Amino acid sequence: MSVALARDAERVAAGLPALVLAAERIAAGVRIGPHGRRRAGSGFSFWQSRPLSPHEPARRIDWRLSARTGRPFVRETEWEAAQTVGLWHATDAGMDWTGDGGRTTKRDRAALLTLALAALLLRGGERVRLLGSDAPPVATRLDAVAHAMAELPAETVPLPQRLPRHGRAVLVGDWLGPVEDTAALLRAFAARPVGGVLVQVLDPAELAFGYSGRVRFSAPAGGEALVIERAEEARERYGARLAAHRAAIEAACRSAGWFYRLHVTDQPAQAALLSLWATLAGEFA
Amino acid sequence: MTLGFAEPWLLLALAVLPALWWLLRVTPPPPRQAVFPPLRLLRDLPPTPHSAARTPPWLLALRLLAAALLIAGLAGPVWDAAPPLRGNGTLLVVVDDGWAAAADWTDRVRAVDGRLAEAAQANRPTALLTTVQRLNAPPLATGDATGARAALAVLKPSPWPVDRAAAAAAIASWHGSGEVLYLGDGLRDSGWMAFARALAAVGPVTRLDPGRAPASLMLPALPTAAGIVARVARADLATATVPVLAQAADGRTLARVDVPFAAGATVGRATLALPPEQRNRLTRLVLAEPVAAGLSPVVGAGAVALLDAGARRHDVALPDATGAAASADVATGQDAPLRGAGYFLRRALSPLAEVSGGPLAATLAKHPAMVLLPDRPVLAGSPDATALADYVEGGGLLLRFAGPEMAAATADGVRDPLLPVPLLIAERQLGGAMSWDRPQAIEPAPPNSPFAGMAIPDDVLITRQVLADPAADLAAATWLRLRDGTPLVTQRAIGAGRVVLVHVTANADWSNLPLSGLFIEVLRRTLLLSAMTGPANEATGDAPLVPQQTLDGFGQLGPPPAGATAIVPATLGTLRVGPSHPPGFYGPEAARRALDLAANLALPEPSPALPDERLQPMRAGAASVALGPPLLGLAALLLALEGVIALRARGLLARGAVAAVLLVACWPAHADPPPPPAALSSRLGYVRTGDAAVDDVSRAGLVGLSAYVRARTAATLDEPDGVVPGGDDLSLYPLLYWPVTPGAPPPGAPALTALNLFMAHGGILLIDTRDGGSGAGMADGAQAALRALARPVDGVALNVPPLTQVSSQHVLARAFYLLRDYPGRYAGSPVWVARDEDRSNDGVSPIVIGGHDWAAAWAVDGQGQFPYATMPGGERQRTLAYRFGVNLVVYALTGNYKSDQVHIPQLLQRLGQ
Repeated sequence: MSVALARDAERVAAGLPALVLAAERIAAGVRIGPHGRRRAGSGFSFWQSRPLSPHEPARRIDWRLSARTGRPFVRETEWEAAQTVGLWHATDAGMDWTGDGGRTTKRDRAALLTLALAALLLRGGERVRLLGSDAPPVATRLDAVAHAMAELPAETVPLPQRLPRHGRAVLVGDWLGPVEDTAALLRAFAARPVGGVLVQVLDPAELAFGYSGRVRFSAPAGGEALVIERAEEARERYGARLAAHRAAIEAACRSAGWFYRLHVTDQPAQAALLSLWATLAGEFA
Repeated sequence: MTLGFAEPWLLLALAVLPALWWLLRVTPPPPRQAVFPPLRLLRDLPPTPHSAARTPPWLLALRLLAAALLIAGLAGPVWDAAPPLRGNGTLLVVVDDGWAAAADWTDRVRAVDGRLAEAAQANRPTALLTTVQRLNAPPLATGDATGARAALAVLKPSPWPVDRAAAAAAIASWHGSGEVLYLGDGLRDSGWMAFARALAAVGPVTRLDPGRAPASLMLPALPTAAGIVARVARADLATATVPVLAQAADGRTLARVDVPFAAGATVGRATLALPPEQRNRLTRLVLAEPVAAGLSPVVGAGAVALLDAGARRHDVALPDATGAAASADVATGQDAPLRGAGYFLRRALSPLAEVSGGPLAATLAKHPAMVLLPDRPVLAGSPDATALADYVEGGGLLLRFAGPEMAAATADGVRDPLLPVPLLIAERQLGGAMSWDRPQAIEPAPPNSPFAGMAIPDDVLITRQVLADPAADLAAATWLRLRDGTPLVTQRAIGAGRVVLVHVTANADWSNLPLSGLFIEVLRRTLLLSAMTGPANEATGDAPLVPQQTLDGFGQLGPPPAGATAIVPATLGTLRVGPSHPPGFYGPEAARRALDLAANLALPEPSPALPDERLQPMRAGAASVALGPPLLGLAALLLALEGVIALRARGLLARGAVAAVLLVACWPAHADPPPPPAALSSRLGYVRTGDAAVDDVSRAGLVGLSAYVRARTAATLDEPDGVVPGGDDLSLYPLLYWPVTPGAPPPGAPALTALNLFMAHGGILLIDTRDGGSGAGMADGAQAALRALARPVDGVALNVPPLTQVSSQHVLARAFYLLRDYPGRYAGSPVWVARDEDRSNDGVSPIVIGGHDWAAAWAVDGQGQFPYATMPGGERQRTLAYRFGVNLVVYALTGNYKSDQVHIPQLLQRLGQ
């Protein structure tokens, strides 16, 4: 294990408990709906007891019940099928930004949403798979998910191939890139076929554009810059353009059979999680 | 006309302006930096109306102009309008160095010296002419400017006027031509026209303007019975009033009077009424001018009027004794120390008058205000009797004392024409081994007596006296009597004068009266009755008067200069001052005469302009204009404008405007309910009487008292305020000082209501009639004015509670200092407060009434001096006056809290038990 990796691990370990705790706290507020398959199968909840059939291995016998009744009984549990849900959140430089120093960044909020969703899903017995990482394909424990998330590289792309067919995906990002790219991505998922939810996380400053006067705007990653003489006059045009952009993304979602959710970082994460969970649960039901 | 710079090297900074221009040109106003992820959405927005990325040229010019103005303003440009001299021929400098140039002599010398320095640099031949006639003055000659500067440096103004006719003659005999520089004193004299012509004949004339009005002239003072009349002649008709200071020989200012001028009148006059003891100390009246910290005497001989013996009202003659008392034995003679009558009289009169001795005839020749005859019979028909009778009938005052000699003469049947009442042969012995009687005390004087109201101590006892023959008119002739009714002081008017007899000796043989303060008071009040006005001019005889002390050009007394010669008294009425007769005191010390500069001098008159003169201000600074402040102001204005433009360019104008509006809105919001300044700190108040002089005294007095209270106690009093009852809020003042003046209009009903409310709510009113113990005639009508206050106006009267005299047990006597009496400028009269039984105000008297003119005693002028002398005088009296003030303030601030002090002995006694 290299030194750099160890350092990263420490950093992750330092940040993770808070994130995991926050995610679990948010997830605890959401009740997991009925999810049983209504038939006997592998699972934890009791389904029925039935007499032992011949040729069944003896280790299936529910010895306690059998001792009370005198006949061998077998205890069957309900079959609880696990769904694999692919999770992805954007980690590019544009996400690592907030319009107000006191507000959480878009990336943190996206990570929190993702992790909280993962916590919910894991509690519900589903499997979680991070689409952008080389982490173990399927995680069943929250801390494993958190570790995998922390080790995500700076820029990732969600890969539909990593999901089984008819899987579900939740993609969280600001989706401020070209609409065509987003639409192509959604088409790729839909072709798998994988359905899901596309969550757009935006900062209030990006929605409201509260700048005025002579402002030099620069990209978060650096390099590109743009000077606007009277920002207050550009506000209206920017607003129209942003609305068009969002509408295009929503249309792309619809056409791919996906759901579109907008989350603004000045609103509580729990509301977004609830909405997301309801969407997923409704879809799964 | 030149443009100079105080800091010329700062102009080098102008060189950076091009660099600044380049910087400003290439640097647009910095945009705000913002990181913005949806940059792509902004990137190809339709183009907005383009604002300049580069600074527009006019803004650039604005900024460069502001910077240039800033640099130029900091360099301190001075526009000096004082032009250099014209021409380059001979320069004739004419300087008036008479009395009228003394006030700003240093400035004058400096101004002329500056011009001479220019001439010296240009190497111009120069002649210096002073217009005062001097003894042995060299004729006007051309030299170089350096020599003229040296001559100028030792030049002093003369205490006599300039002689321009002589100056014109000197110029005419000089035969020079060139350019004239003239610094005049602004007054014309009889030779003015010839002088102007002589100057014009020399060449172009440049006159230096001193920048101040020509000097006023102090005319000789006129001593009158009412006071000393100060007269001032003004040359400048714009002068409204001139303050005149009355100074003693040691230079202290004893009094001040403002001399007003009637419209168009040249001479103004004002009467300086002073108590005799102060009046006798005066030696000069000096014009004053207001300066930053009060008044400052004007420098110059013309501002001084000397007061000689003629202005002294009270010369008291104590003729040398004859007979037994004249024995050479110092132990028994009249002037024997501690025993002789003359010793007592001189000591008692020393603060009041000049007591001179000598033979009777010689002392009478000086026309003294009062002649003292202690125990000296006057034989009818003798030369002494004739001379004394002449003196008394001419208005003299003869004060006689009884004694063994007088008693013996009466027993011998000698007729004494100058006795006020016939005397019984027997003298009276009270007390002693062989007598049943006890020594008698003195009864308070009857109201028609000049001694009325005098405090009579009980311990003044008379053991022997001569007795008056009982007659019908004896009661009317008696001014003071003993408890048993026998006269002690009798008097009779003879002609215009009066004879007063004290029926005891002037030493302590027959009574202890001469040992008490009553003796001084009797002498003082008697002296005030004198109608004599001092020696007449012809009294001094014909002996030449030798100069004793003379004034120099700056108005300072000093030894006479070498050229001063004696003057004949007969010529005093027509003599004019000059090099041989400088103004000053002439004659022997006892009868010295003053020769004033203004005596027999024409009244000052402003000089007209010279023909074809060119006027220059004398002071270089007066004509130069500092251009720095306006330039800096303009630069600041431009920078502010640039700031507004920059804010607008960055879209912050609205925010800035909001901030400015908020600032403006908050400003008055803070100052909106202005509390009255008097409410912010405790301070004393005085009632404005409407008489500016009285109000000034009140204010100065309370300022002095406040400072004293601050220094001595924990109370911090701020500047006092003048208040108008009924107009101002009196509730803010713990103590109001109210000088009652006869001339003041009586307060109206609103004022009385306000004062009653003030007193009813814990305020203390100190009413000062300013007449107690000052002597008769000092504040006529003050008592009447006080009585007028008690009369109701429109049904409202001043709510004066029953009064009692302040005793030493009163809280007022113990509030801070332990006091027995409460003097102010004067001393000796009672102070009244509300009776102690009056419990309506916690036993605190709401009113204190007295007449000691406390404010004058407390008063402190701008230099921290005490402008008003105390009477009878002394630092002790002023200290006691301040202590009374402190007690009063503490009493006003703490009420009856301090009354426990009165009970401390009893409390301690009880604690001990």
